[in-house]
Amino acid sequence: MDFGMIASALVQVFSLTNMAMIFMGLLIGMVVGCIPGLSVTLGIILMLPLTYKFTDPATAIILLLAVYVGGMYGGSISAITLNTPGTNSAIATTFDGYPLAKKGKVKKALDTSLFASVFGGLFSAVLLLICAQLITKLVANFASVEYFSMGILGISLIAGVSGDSLPKSIISGMIGLLMACIGMDAVTGVTRFSFGMDTLKYGIDMLPAMIALIALTQVVQKLRDFKLSGGKLDDANKIDKEGLTGKEMVHILPSCFRSSLVASVLGAMPGVGGGVAQFLCYNEARRTSKHPEEFGKGSLEGIAAAESSNNAVVGSAMIPLLTLGIPGDGVTALLLGAFVLHGINPGPTMFTKQGVMAYTIILGCLIANIFLAPIGAVMTRAVAKIVSVKYTYLAPVIIMFCFAGAFAATGNTKELVLTAAILIFSYILTILDISNTPLMLGMILEPIMEKNFVSAAMSYDRDYTIFVRRPISLVILIITVVLLVSMMQVNKRIEALNAQQEAEMAAEHAKMDAEAK
Amino acid sequence: MKIKIKTNLVSGIIMGLVSLILLVVMPKQVRVPAFDSGAPSPRIIPGICLVLMLVFSIVLIIQSLVFKKEKIVEFDWAVEKPAIVLILIMCVYVALIIYIGYIPASIITFLAVQFYCGERKLPIYIYTVAAAVLIYFLFKNVFYISLPAGPFFGG
Repeated sequence: MDFGMIASALVQVFSLTNMAMIFMGLLIGMVVGCIPGLSVTLGIILMLPLTYKFTDPATAIILLLAVYVGGMYGGSISAITLNTPGTNSAIATTFDGYPLAKKGKVKKALDTSLFASVFGGLFSAVLLLICAQLITKLVANFASVEYFSMGILGISLIAGVSGDSLPKSIISGMIGLLMACIGMDAVTGVTRFSFGMDTLKYGIDMLPAMIALIALTQVVQKLRDFKLSGGKLDDANKIDKEGLTGKEMVHILPSCFRSSLVASVLGAMPGVGGGVAQFLCYNEARRTSKHPEEFGKGSLEGIAAAESSNNAVVGSAMIPLLTLGIPGDGVTALLLGAFVLHGINPGPTMFTKQGVMAYTIILGCLIANIFLAPIGAVMTRAVAKIVSVKYTYLAPVIIMFCFAGAFAATGNTKELVLTAAILIFSYILTILDISNTPLMLGMILEPIMEKNFVSAAMSYDRDYTIFVRRPISLVILIITVVLLVSMMQVNKRIEALNAQQEAEMAAEHAKMDAEAK
Repeated sequence: MKIKIKTNLVSGIIMGLVSLILLVVMPKQVRVPAFDSGAPSPRIIPGICLVLMLVFSIVLIIQSLVFKKEKIVEFDWAVEKPAIVLILIMCVYVALIIYIGYIPASIITFLAVQFYCGERKLPIYIYTVAAAVLIYFLFKNVFYISLPAGPFFGG
């Protein structure tokens, strides 16, 4: 590790602006994560246009990372108080969080979740700090050929694991790549697929596309559900005063540690993410617990396993992103987009050319996790009240922000037209059961992939066999196929396990509710 | 009205047709540069994407028709109507922003959205108007991004 750079980065992280951004990001993340139906990605997208005017790109990334960290914890608040996970990564938290809340111990469940979240987040952030430079040294010899192959690996893995149909996911990824091709080609200056329209001539900017695909699609669906339910709100459990004791904290430590370790390894693999990690960690915690019979009935170890795992994914998912420039899941894909927008090139060269910035981002992630403890302790009660706010108060503000943010991308009204068009397209994809995560990834990865493809082709006189003739590139492509096949099999098994676990827990909760009546 | 959509078959047909049409129009839509700069053809990446799209669309159709592997999604008009109405409102919102500016467009659109969602109390309408004005000035004065002002606000 380069301690000189770390020292400079520390000074930067502790600037007043960055501290304020961490505070704001954590709070916004907690709020967005807490509202069922809205995801962490939405929080990041909403913040992205606001970072345009930031002079220091590291500050922008720190803000977005703080939203990610806060969102992962925020998801557990509604999981515990409402039995509805705020984010997909908090599904396993409902297994024990809700039964404990039903017993009147809401504060204890929330404290356990906060403690485990901070533990998991810190664990992976430290791992990121240690591993990042080691990995960059391993891949220091990568050239454009290898980077293109890495892009293929990234997009294949995400396509392989998102949604339950591989052909549909691949089609979605290809649509993303194609959408990014539209407009003027940077190398030859040729216009591609503009159909003579001025709106398409300069291409589709990433930000309006992300806003339409992720944020607006979610808000419209949530607003639809609000309208269909007649504006009825779920009853949230009231937060009591009995928190987590020191003895209980010690008791859940092994569970936190094991889950953080497993989730960190899983999170570092592209295509896994918090959704998958939580179930494996929960299952592992139950298997190794001295009291497996308490799982599903309000076990503190169960909450700790689920929550430490989803926060541990945050730091570890940054490992492939920062060191190789390939995102591990939808959220990190969006972060990669943010990197590109701010002129940062993640990958091995980042640690040599923009070393201080790389460490500022890593330390920012670490500090955000440390700050989550006091901010979570003080603000959880207030944030939990957000689920009692009618959605008609939130939706207009989010939508107004979305369109203002889309316009901010270039300051041209064509962005608004594109946003509306992509929103319609995204809705059609939803009806056809095509996941838009690979599409988003394709759009973000295309410029990077094409840049490396063009420079590799020009360096080797358009000899396209170079991608399989250079040994490292060939190995990456082989790994892509092997990982794709094996991860799809693993995912199928995990899905079956999840379905079984969820069914068991739902039955258990129904029994508890019946007994309570 | 409920329609059962065989998503594999329908996706395969739609995406297959789209990729086929784009492949056909590619020579006109992506011209080869007049002189050779040594760079690969600008048609390579979109071409590969379109071919892969076509191949996997055919795979979806085969999955559905030959192997009877299908994911059926029920399109319930009663459930989807609010979503479609809201998307249409968003399209009108965009047109309004362009022609009359961000603040009036936001006020008109979201008062309509509140009404559509069943809100009848005055405070929520006042709140919506205040939010529109606040966001406009937040972008203008804090982020230095001037949203379309329209004829009423000096645009």
